[in-house]
Amino acid sequence: MKKMSFWSRTVGGLGQAWAIAAKDLRTYYFNPPMLMFGLIMPVLLFFSFSMRRGDLSREMGVMHLMSMALFFTSSTAGPVILILERRTRTLDRLMTAPLSISCLLFGKTLVGVVFALGVALAPLIVGLAVFHIEVQNPAFLGGAIILSAMSFSALGVWFGSFPARSVGTVMMPSTLLRWPLLFISGIFIPLRRLPVWARAVSYISPLTYAHDAVKHAVNGSGVQPIALDVLILPVFLMLFLFLAVRLYRRVRRLGY
Amino acid sequence: MKSEGSYAIEARGLTKRYGKLLAVDSIDFDIEGGEIFGFLGPNGAGKTTTVMMLTTFLEPAAGTIRVHGYDLSRESLKARALMGIVPEESNIYTELAAEDNLLFAGKIYRMPRKARKQRARELLGMFGLSDKARVKAQEFSKGMRRRLTVAMALMHEPKLLFLDEPISGLDVQSARYIKTLMRDLNASGVTIFLTTHQIEVANELCHRVAIINQGRIATIGTPDELKNNIESVQTVAVTFDAPEGAGIPSLAGLPGVNHEIKSGNGRRLYTDSPGDVIPAVVDFAREHKLRITSLNTLGPSLEDVFLKITGQEVGAITAPSKGEGKRKKGGMGR
Repeated sequence: MKKMSFWSRTVGGLGQAWAIAAKDLRTYYFNPPMLMFGLIMPVLLFFSFSMRRGDLSREMGVMHLMSMALFFTSSTAGPVILILERRTRTLDRLMTAPLSISCLLFGKTLVGVVFALGVALAPLIVGLAVFHIEVQNPAFLGGAIILSAMSFSALGVWFGSFPARSVGTVMMPSTLLRWPLLFISGIFIPLRRLPVWARAVSYISPLTYAHDAVKHAVNGSGVQPIALDVLILPVFLMLFLFLAVRLYRRVRRLGY
Repeated sequence: MKSEGSYAIEARGLTKRYGKLLAVDSIDFDIEGGEIFGFLGPNGAGKTTTVMMLTTFLEPAAGTIRVHGYDLSRESLKARALMGIVPEESNIYTELAAEDNLLFAGKIYRMPRKARKQRARELLGMFGLSDKARVKAQEFSKGMRRRLTVAMALMHEPKLLFLDEPISGLDVQSARYIKTLMRDLNASGVTIFLTTHQIEVANELCHRVAIINQGRIATIGTPDELKNNIESVQTVAVTFDAPEGAGIPSLAGLPGVNHEIKSGNGRRLYTDSPGDVIPAVVDFAREHKLRITSLNTLGPSLEDVFLKITGQEVGAITAPSKGEGKRKKGGMGR
């Protein structure tokens, strides 16, 4: 009896989280900050830094673009949507509805995942159809993309949980934090070529593991053991969600 | 754990601080199921903070709240499922159609698919939005947005409805519609917690009213009880037959008049002794060749109670020496 109750609570909670995600997808798909920070920025970055490297293979190009798109798009959804909803007071509606904060934030995480999948699959499809790239392990690639998008999206949800009412207030510092991660995560400079201190720092970036997992799937080899990539990404997801929930509880306690 | 009793809300020792500021200072009150309860107070009195705590948006620093027996600190999700909340600012999803807003509200409250579709149709009809069901809410007028906000709060058929300034800024028709709706909902058993600055609305609709001032409940009771408690405030209302703006002199200097409020050709004179004021007004009319069209003595209004309790002046003084027609702080003429 108790087990049924837990099961129904979980299923109900997931249903609420998905309802939030589906509503956000319809509402914010063409929102200007989403397009700017989540779509245009990764493409520009790719062309600025990667295309000029003569040694870049087609597979590497697709992997770089996919990793960047996943990273930027999924981590953009959280701050943009949460802060817009805080400003229009529609977030209040969710915060006083019969759903837990974890469920609400998981719903917001799912939005980033779906947005990112849409954006990141484009270079993959072009790579497969036009450049005939070969993917060693397609199933693992799918899993790596979803896991990566979830941890990046949770990072964005954490950013969006700071009690700001203007998108710029959070997007500026979050972009300042995301850019260095991009440079130390093995996308522009391979991890092996990084100085020891930078390589040590790279281990605190979820992008390092995501990019390495994508490399394992496409090339069949990476810098770190594949198991490490697979285990660490969910840890980041849980950590960022935990921090976001804590922030919301603090805001509920202190007011904003 | 559910407690016995018929209370929709039980608040005990409710306290909230923002840093060093004590916004709500250990307040207690009960609201019975089926009541329309008005919550009044000047800006900064702790009204919004109290409502935020009652709706689980804010955690109290101390004290307990029970909603239909559910302790908000431990069973907030169960309590929230019984509440409908209509904030002062319409918080609808403007990018979605009216029907989609309602369906989303139903999903969040875990209503089954068939039930939410049926309820959405019913509410669209009830609020006169059936022909706008597929129109995005961004194209709606303020009144339509307000109606949609209320409809969203009613989607899951709450037992307790919080309404914050529900008719503020609405046209006469929409305001009347919302007031009728409040009465109908209440008749069907819904408890209503009404926050408003429009004291006449509270007077007209509420079974009981609480006035909060400086973080504390200053008074609580039926509108009549509150008015009876300040019997010392009495007024003489007089209207003269003269063209508007004809320059009727001030009556503030008449014997027994404490304050005067001007309103067109009418005057409301605050006094402790209406018996002295009435003959003085008649003499005044004779002296200035004015014809009195109406002369009444009135007891205190809920507005008078509010002003007295919140420490603001009752009425506005229009002393001849200080210039006619000037309204001082706290004056709210009718």
